[in-house]
Amino acid sequence: MGKKTCWALIIASIIVNVIMLQWTVEAFLGREYEVLFTYNLISLLSASIALFAYFQWRKVEYKKKS
Amino acid sequence: MNDKKKLARNQKDTNDDMINLVDNLNRDEDLKYNRRSFLKTAVGTSVALSVATIPFSVKAMLGMETDYNRVEIAKLEDIPEGDSVVFNYPNDNDPAILIHTVNGDLKAYNSACTHLMCPVFYEKTQDVLLCPCHKGYFDVSNGQPISGPPQRELPLIEIEVDNGIVYAVGRQYRHG
Repeated sequence: MGKKTCWALIIASIIVNVIMLQWTVEAFLGREYEVLFTYNLISLLSASIALFAYFQWRKVEYKKKS
Repeated sequence: MNDKKKLARNQKDTNDDMINLVDNLNRDEDLKYNRRSFLKTAVGTSVALSVATIPFSVKAMLGMETDYNRVEIAKLEDIPEGDSVVFNYPNDNDPAILIHTVNGDLKAYNSACTHLMCPVFYEKTQDVLLCPCHKGYFDVSNGQPISGPPQRELPLIEIEVDNGIVYAVGRQYRHG
């Protein structure tokens, strides 16, 4: 996975998490607890992907050139 | 040549001619706010946003409402058509409004506006519920927002009329 892909994944995960936080608050206030847990799972999954992408980017970025 | 030792171009506080061309550049900040730092901050932001959703789920798991009490609101004869009374349901912290509409219907909703929690009032001349804080309007027949900032409907309070007395018996979110 290239560095540009990692950047794209991380930026995409921020967008997804902003939307999920907004929807989570709305679902909580509307007592829609089932969808609230779904949004929560999507958000955590998105953050995991961002972390994975970051570690992948770091591996490529700091690799010593031979 | 003066006594001050001239620092190399890549050292802090250098007086090198090729470095101090622009006053608004700071070498420290240049090192702090770079591409790598930006990416790390972006990842941190994503994780922080994700973690921020967890308390809502925890609170939802702890505070699920199951049953409601039957609470007397008012005598029907005390509420003429076009009038309304305020009460609290299901708890003292939940303000609500019972409306006897100009058409003769009985409707009850929690009266905290779903925008910023200001109390809503029954405007009988227009037959709507009005939040005066930011001019939010709700349909009195179903509690749905008509115009203004509110995006969600008012929670509906289920009512029963028994021997001329109006009771609150339940509550619905996301109704209609």
